[in-house]
Amino acid sequence: MFFIVCALSAEAKPLISALSLRRDNRACPYDTFFAEDSSSVLVISGMGTVAAASATTYLLTRFGFCPEKDILINFGSCAGKAPGIHLVNKIHDEVTGRDFYPDMLYDLSSCGLPLSSEKALVTVSKVVASLEDPSLLYEMEASAVFQAAARFVPPHRMIFLKYVSDSGTDDPKKITSALLTKWAEKHISTVISVLDHLKDVTEDDGAIDEDLFLGTALALRLSETMRHELHQLFVYAKTEEIDMEKLLSDLEKEGNIPAKSKREGKEVLDVIRQRLI
Amino acid sequence: MSSGKDLFNFPFSHIYVEKKVTDHPLTKSILARYGKSAVISIDHYKDVFNRPRQSYGLQKTSPSLILARNTGASVFKGAPVCQDFGYDYFYYTSCTRNCIFDCEYCFLRGMYGSGDVVIFVNLEDTFAELETLLSEHPVYLCVSYDTDLIALDILTGYISRWAEFTKTHKDLSIEIRTKSFRKDFYDKISPCDRMIFAYTISPQEIIDKYEKRTASLSDRLSAASYAMEKGFPVRLCFDPLIYVRNWKDIYTSMFHETVKHIDIHQLKDISVGSYRISSEYIRKIRKDFPGSSICQFPYENHGGYMEYPENIKNEMENHLVTLLQTLISRDKIFRIDNEENSRRRN
Repeated sequence: MFFIVCALSAEAKPLISALSLRRDNRACPYDTFFAEDSSSVLVISGMGTVAAASATTYLLTRFGFCPEKDILINFGSCAGKAPGIHLVNKIHDEVTGRDFYPDMLYDLSSCGLPLSSEKALVTVSKVVASLEDPSLLYEMEASAVFQAAARFVPPHRMIFLKYVSDSGTDDPKKITSALLTKWAEKHISTVISVLDHLKDVTEDDGAIDEDLFLGTALALRLSETMRHELHQLFVYAKTEEIDMEKLLSDLEKEGNIPAKSKREGKEVLDVIRQRLI
Repeated sequence: MSSGKDLFNFPFSHIYVEKKVTDHPLTKSILARYGKSAVISIDHYKDVFNRPRQSYGLQKTSPSLILARNTGASVFKGAPVCQDFGYDYFYYTSCTRNCIFDCEYCFLRGMYGSGDVVIFVNLEDTFAELETLLSEHPVYLCVSYDTDLIALDILTGYISRWAEFTKTHKDLSIEIRTKSFRKDFYDKISPCDRMIFAYTISPQEIIDKYEKRTASLSDRLSAASYAMEKGFPVRLCFDPLIYVRNWKDIYTSMFHETVKHIDIHQLKDISVGSYRISSEYIRKIRKDFPGSSICQFPYENHGGYMEYPENIKNEMENHLVTLLQTLISRDKIFRIDNEENSRRRN
């Protein structure tokens, strides 16, 4: 699932439409939208770091972020010199002086985001009037999204996508909602392409047949330490593609399972180990 | 990982450079080689290398490079599970962290939270530290301990710098351990009997399955043979021996392949050791690599080190030692006795 954080409705609007997201009508502290097929969920955080951090935490906990399967995306506008949409490789928090680094593992050049489009970004506390360093992007949420998410999300599962809306302004009112939406629309195909590219990035969580494991541990009257040993044997069997169900069923036919005592259970555990290796 | 290869960036697509080494000549020469990479300025290498919750496995697919200055100590006493080959003052140095190879059993997976490669560009400071140590006693130093220095030499040029330093410091002996095929650098350095090149020798089946991106057995043997021709002392390390069901067949074939290409009598020495790893490291590795059979093997804990069950360990090591003893004297074969955490000659 993609967990998407946008600061403003105007920035999120084209994405909500492109992904056919539906508003979550339950009592939510933030405007939240989700896909019927559970492929994405999006939150509107509001502007600034405090709002961004709390909305990110809300989204990740409310919808149960899975670090082996899910990806967090922070999408929004920023001030910068180079027009277009950029993948962010470094986030500097102007207030704390701290730096944060998403892990840049994925080749997104086929989505229109070549390495040359990457930028470092500064999270500031108010709209910038001018660009102190024209090579950087300036916005108001990314460092907070990163910090809040870092408790849940590995750095290679955080993607920061920022599109340039201006090069700094004395009057933030000049950057209207309509303009933000219009510029966001221009880059939606890139965002959708990124989501499509990363949708299958899943990692092995090492899950075993828990029912079989628990049943065996019980039948063998194992102590806590022996349970850990049995669990390790289950994991090993999975890596070697050994049919544990058959191995245990053979032991059952041979009269070794269930065990009559803890001592007998330990002996059976040794037999399982020997048969596996 | 369920996605295709084109999902990932090319290795070293991102190079993180500490601000304090931006102008170092080695930084400049490495960056000049990677014109297409994104260069990201950082304050301290640990800001990137020590990020929480990194995926060591995925990072090995697309490692970033970090160029940094080592500001702390860089020479350390050797660990008990490492073979010291009878030297009294056994140390290792860490001028580079991590390796471009991807061995499934590598202890670095348990030692570091990141699969990215760190090169400390200030090798001159390691030399200074070593000179202080050498003023106290002789030193036997493993310089390719946290990495494969030969594999990275094309970037760093560290092999020739170590060669020069070792030659001019009579009380220093160094070991350079490798799984690389490269041999061109042997033409650029002059032989020194205190500069030992140690080749890890594994059956091709083990290389294919567990030692990704490393040189083939025949290429390793060819490189080792070339080093001997050039007059360098060469050590063959049948270590770690990896248990698989047909271990006897594949290790016997490997032995015959080895003696076909290498004049065993000309070797400095040989080490033999079955796989072992600290229990602390294996805990992390098992969590990070749930699908790896070598990591999930039910090892036995002997004094904080995870090892194969005694019968497997002895059978494997004895088999190889028996084969080797037909060609080389016992005092040239080194084994490790972990139970007592001391070393012995077999």
